[in-house]
Amino acid sequence: MKSLVIGTLAATALFGQVTYERLLKAPSEPNNWMTYSGSYQSWRYSSLDQINRQNVANLKVAWVQQMPTSHRIEATPIVVDGIMYVTEPPSNVFALDAATGRPYWHYKRSLPAYNVCCDAVNRGVAVMGDRVFLGTVDAHLVALNAKTGAVLWDVEVADRKTGYSVTGAPLVVKDMVITGVAGGEYGVRGFLDAYDIKTGKRRWRFNTVPGPGEKGHETWPTSGPHANSWKQGGGPTWVTGSFDPELNLLIWGVGNPSPDWNADVREGDNLYTDSAIALDVDTGQLKWHYQFVPHDANDWDAVQVPVLVDGDWQGKPRKLIYWAHRGGFYYVLDRATGEFLLGKPFAKQTWAKEIDAKGRPVRLPNTAPTVEGNVIWPGVQGATNWYSPSYSPLTSLFYLTVWENKGWYLKGEPKYTPGNRYVGSVPDIDMSDDQGYGAIRALNPKTGALVWEHRTQTKPWSGVMTTGSNILFGANGGWLNRSAREDGEAYFFALDAENGKELWRINLGGTMSSNPMTYMVNGKQMVTMAAGSAVFTFALP
Amino acid sequence: MEVPLRIRTLLVMLAGASLAVAQTANSQATPAGRAAGEKIFRSHCASCHGVAGAGGTGPNLTTGVFYHGNTDADLYKNISQGIEGTAMPDQFFNGVQIWQIVAYVRSLSATPVRTKLPGNAAHGAELFRAKGCSGCHLVKGEGGVRGPDLSIIGSQRSAAHLRESITDPGKNVSNAYWVAKVITKDGKSHSGFLLNQDTYAIQMLDFAEGLRTVNRSDFNDFGIDRSSIMPAYQDKLGASELDDLVAFLASLERSRFAQSGEKK
Repeated sequence: MKSLVIGTLAATALFGQVTYERLLKAPSEPNNWMTYSGSYQSWRYSSLDQINRQNVANLKVAWVQQMPTSHRIEATPIVVDGIMYVTEPPSNVFALDAATGRPYWHYKRSLPAYNVCCDAVNRGVAVMGDRVFLGTVDAHLVALNAKTGAVLWDVEVADRKTGYSVTGAPLVVKDMVITGVAGGEYGVRGFLDAYDIKTGKRRWRFNTVPGPGEKGHETWPTSGPHANSWKQGGGPTWVTGSFDPELNLLIWGVGNPSPDWNADVREGDNLYTDSAIALDVDTGQLKWHYQFVPHDANDWDAVQVPVLVDGDWQGKPRKLIYWAHRGGFYYVLDRATGEFLLGKPFAKQTWAKEIDAKGRPVRLPNTAPTVEGNVIWPGVQGATNWYSPSYSPLTSLFYLTVWENKGWYLKGEPKYTPGNRYVGSVPDIDMSDDQGYGAIRALNPKTGALVWEHRTQTKPWSGVMTTGSNILFGANGGWLNRSAREDGEAYFFALDAENGKELWRINLGGTMSSNPMTYMVNGKQMVTMAAGSAVFTFALP
Repeated sequence: MEVPLRIRTLLVMLAGASLAVAQTANSQATPAGRAAGEKIFRSHCASCHGVAGAGGTGPNLTTGVFYHGNTDADLYKNISQGIEGTAMPDQFFNGVQIWQIVAYVRSLSATPVRTKLPGNAAHGAELFRAKGCSGCHLVKGEGGVRGPDLSIIGSQRSAAHLRESITDPGKNVSNAYWVAKVITKDGKSHSGFLLNQDTYAIQMLDFAEGLRTVNRSDFNDFGIDRSSIMPAYQDKLGASELDDLVAFLASLERSRFAQSGEKK
């Protein structure tokens, strides 16, 4: 009997437990969704095809999980073998039956005062073994037991009182859990951290703003009245990056320099803000970087999800990154070296003449914020933002959410005090003379050329996902503003990934500010999207 | 940054509002206010915190240690809104009543009482492993999940309650540890903690297979065992060993939020 019990335990230990090997082969397990973007390559693509272009119009709500939160949901759920782990903002976690949405457990964090710029949000958890990892708005990283939600360890990532928080989903690589930080509106000094999944002990830290003696520090003032501006230089890392196991490189986006809209105190390029960085995952050492916007004064974070694709580039096989940046240009980079290969606008922009042959934007005059105000395309929320793009291997197209919009950029006089806003002004968007519009666009990733677009009245705050049946799921839900004359839309929809034709839509009636994902349970493909404070899951009848 | 202007302005205003509460002095910190607070405390708080505030199934309030903030504003917030992630509920009193409770709770720890327990906590920690407790209970990430997580139990329960839970664990079993026993129509049996039940299914932490849902339509037999799966240790520990174990458990405290100006 005893041996039988032990045998059963050993056999079942594997079920429901994520291993590094499973994460490496995540695309071969489409029933599950095991990382923020679905795989280390971050395609937000699933080969599931039960829901197809012929039957998608029959999609029905399978279940809804209403969360007792007043904050908007930005999370992508993780699903492992029939269990869904999804965060409830600010920093709580639900384990749900992925078939019914009924909760198994609910981790509720008691929070002290915290500093977040833009609502107390969370973009999801990471899983490994019998553990679930959560970053919190009080800037901690927590390991929970996947069966009970019990806290296994809880470590401080940074001091919440100086404006740090963690809002992004962690990424597990090997035996480490990687997390970034938020706080670019509080004058934090950004970093990316790796922690031991067993003990919570920190393995390495990469500071995104180099200090004295470190390469890149020369891109900040090193003498004079602003010689210490690097200490409050920003460069947060609040959206989950990607991983290339062959190169052993973690590839991550870095956010805006601080203060956001007045760059006078930080003469220079301000590395590694607004950059893609590639780190050796074992050591945290920088292998290369590519800066999208040197000396940014428009808050055009590079906090996009890096999409990693191996493909032919002008006749030669190459390891590529596809990256549509907030400033309105679509880029292709070589991910072994960081070499710039392509930079083409994917939306209207008025700040750069072009990206030169070396990858440096050629700035047009008068494109920084001014005391009187300056109108620039794109607006402060960018031509795209943090919400996820998708790449489909079936169509070989790159899909993203786009805002066609302008902004009014003002320059104020920021003063740094710990834990308080350090921004310089507040730009305006949704300008009354031209509010702009949104779109889901498909680009040829080799050229940046537009293949199709699906326009939306409301500028979407959500990402996109593609599937093995050539469906793109997306949303046009903005932030619903009950004080406005008209409420924003809240449509979740399915488009034909080949031509953008709408196949299905449903009004979910709440702010949508996350990314779709899909999984399979009990033989049924499910599609999940958050709206308002609820998680909606759809399936065929 | 990723937030529209109007919402941002609102957030700043909200932050300002909570600051205003923090700066309000407690006008009920008077003999009459404390007396009124004591009455409310006895009828609404004592079932968990004890009639004298010395704890029971809720924390001891006489020690001067408040894990979720030690300012009057923190106490006001925790009494009026409850504490997320704990058993502390929100209450429905008006503002004056809450300040009266705050005044009374403050008076409980005017002279902080930190009772020295008789046992040896270090030896208790050894016993915790040697007697097999860690096979079922988690402490700071180490141990099993077949019983309550004891990582911060010292700040959640009184020493008397801990003692009773060791010697007579069946006396007061939380419904989180009731055991569902199911035999399904295909003859398989499952047993595990009952997490949830509704009209159509039960959700359990199956002792063998982890989290699972079993549909009622698949039941052949179903029962709920409300007794504790923990053996009683009344006769398995000497008197001093019991003291040691209680001292160890009482030493497992929640980490406190650092207050402004306070060292973490």
